[in-house]
Amino acid sequence: MENSSSQVPVTVLTGFLGAGKTTLLNRILTEQHGRRYAVIVNEFGEQGIDNDLVVDADEEVFEMNNGCICCTVRGDLIRILGGLMKRADQLDAIIVETTGLADPAPVAQTFFVDQDVADRTKLDAIVTVADAVHLSTQLGEHHEAEEQIAFADVVLLNKIDLVDQSQITGVKDRIRKINPYTKIIETNRCAAPLDEVLGLNAFSLDRVLEVEPDFLDSDHDHEHDDDVTSVSFVSDTPLDLEKFEKWFGNLLQTHGQNILRSKGILDFKNEKDRYVFQGVHMLMDASPMGPWPEKSIRNSRVVFIGRKLETMNLKEGFESCKSD
Amino acid sequence: MNNESVIKSRFEENGKVFETGAPVTGAVSIENAVAVGFGDGSIRFFWPDNDPLEVQAHSGAIQSIASSNDGVITGGQDGRFLKISTNAEVEEIYNFGTRWVDNVAAYESMVLCSSGKNVYIWSDENDKPKILEHQSTIGGIAIDQNGRRIAVSCYGGVTLWRLEKNKWKSSKFAWKGSHGKVGFSPDGKYLVTTMQENELHAWRIRDKASFAMSGYPSKVKSFTWAGDNPYLVTAGAKEAICWPFDGKEGPKGRKPLCIASGGQQNATFVESLPGEKAVFAGFRNGMVLLSELSEHPNDVLIQNPTGSEVSNISISPDRSHILVGDSKGQILWSPLWEQ
Repeated sequence: MENSSSQVPVTVLTGFLGAGKTTLLNRILTEQHGRRYAVIVNEFGEQGIDNDLVVDADEEVFEMNNGCICCTVRGDLIRILGGLMKRADQLDAIIVETTGLADPAPVAQTFFVDQDVADRTKLDAIVTVADAVHLSTQLGEHHEAEEQIAFADVVLLNKIDLVDQSQITGVKDRIRKINPYTKIIETNRCAAPLDEVLGLNAFSLDRVLEVEPDFLDSDHDHEHDDDVTSVSFVSDTPLDLEKFEKWFGNLLQTHGQNILRSKGILDFKNEKDRYVFQGVHMLMDASPMGPWPEKSIRNSRVVFIGRKLETMNLKEGFESCKSD
Repeated sequence: MNNESVIKSRFEENGKVFETGAPVTGAVSIENAVAVGFGDGSIRFFWPDNDPLEVQAHSGAIQSIASSNDGVITGGQDGRFLKISTNAEVEEIYNFGTRWVDNVAAYESMVLCSSGKNVYIWSDENDKPKILEHQSTIGGIAIDQNGRRIAVSCYGGVTLWRLEKNKWKSSKFAWKGSHGKVGFSPDGKYLVTTMQENELHAWRIRDKASFAMSGYPSKVKSFTWAGDNPYLVTAGAKEAICWPFDGKEGPKGRKPLCIASGGQQNATFVESLPGEKAVFAGFRNGMVLLSELSEHPNDVLIQNPTGSEVSNISISPDRSHILVGDSKGQILWSPLWEQ
């Protein structure tokens, strides 16, 4: 891995058509004076984008021949990010605007799979712009809307002036049920402070330690089989490293397609260091992150976001990793 | 690195070093010069006897460069497809707007480029290009030795276009995955591509029999042909991996030659020395070695590590000079033989 300071951060903007992605994009480009951005767009021509470095691309999802069926990458991103790194001028950041119906998984996986992309750039965050008026309907009708929320590090809940407070509460509950880790920012016309949207470093393992999930006591009665949900477990008993690796490896191999994201901080028996991991489908990034801080509670915490989580015996599996 | 302990190679002693500040993205021979394309959109011509000539051509990086019969042609991130003569005249062949021009190639008076999923062909002073369409964004294009066939790689394989009675007819060479650079073997019998995975793929054109060349620790970004056999020489490993393409079956079931083994890091660029059984290999740390195509090769140091990956090695058309360019914009331009 290269020195992170030489890696150009990449922010991915997702959200359904009409939610306000282009509004946010233009806001970023006009408010950040003196910074140099490249913008990769896929719905060019719909609304003007005020930047001299706009790259027009088609979203191309490629399957990798690595025996992993859910391992898809964005071929256009590999090509364009590689090309942008050949430029003589230094970019401060790259922003990728996806089409309304895009699945964010291939975008995120590109940064795990392609070595050139991982050497020169880093995924900063996935920012999802959601329409407060229509999100609830969209979540019921389109898998992609759920995926965009499940992958979001930040949800900009936009157009809140068009709904009342009870509707806002309802839609926020819905978002948290899918993704308790996401930060929700309520906005009109995407007027969010830009430091809450850019430069988040959300995909670094450090951030897993910092963000406390916002779990809801939700009843699971009304879910359809295909709904995206999340579950989390805590253990105060240290885990057995070998048992965990075996269980977790097997879990990702057999159910990786339905596990959209996973994150965790782990306390292994006889290990001085904290272990941190985060994954997208079957791909995972994991590392020891230094010793546990003094006075902190040593325990293991994991969270899974995905579909059909109830079929994976996650609780039993996690419990079975406890050391004797 | 402790500079005092580095012993300069003969090529570094006798040559000139230029710090251009812009990554070298490609180079090609034209007339008696080597023309180099850069990440700031400029072109520089290097001659054996004169100072280099700089031409500001594109805004944004040059994606691809090739030589045509009356100048170099370049495709840029500014969407322009240009022809540039060795006396610095710039002519715009076409402007694609916000779409990059990713690949260019030429054969006699025919020039072509790819932008997005299409290949555009201009021949015989026709203003309107002939358009060849493909299913995904094009990774690479190549023209065969006679100018009668064009190979176009993309996701899912290669499309081979043949000129028959003034019409381009296509034939598909399928292999799952994303294909990048494409080339014909010197005898025109094989097609070779680099892949998104750490491997190459090849087809025998006659019967479409295909095979993979794998086992690389990193992506294969460069290949070339060397020797009379010939060998397919490839980057992507700590040595230059050379696959034998003689006989009926080519490299199928045979082991490659591994030469230029003195590099500490993976090779990023390879080039043959025309007329000799020898290969230049450039590495990720900037080192360049010349090595023989043999079981027990001797290596000659061309360039010590610079800290930046070698992105091009070119030999001048008269074989008098070598040019080495890297991803930070350093150029070594040196006489190839003892003076």
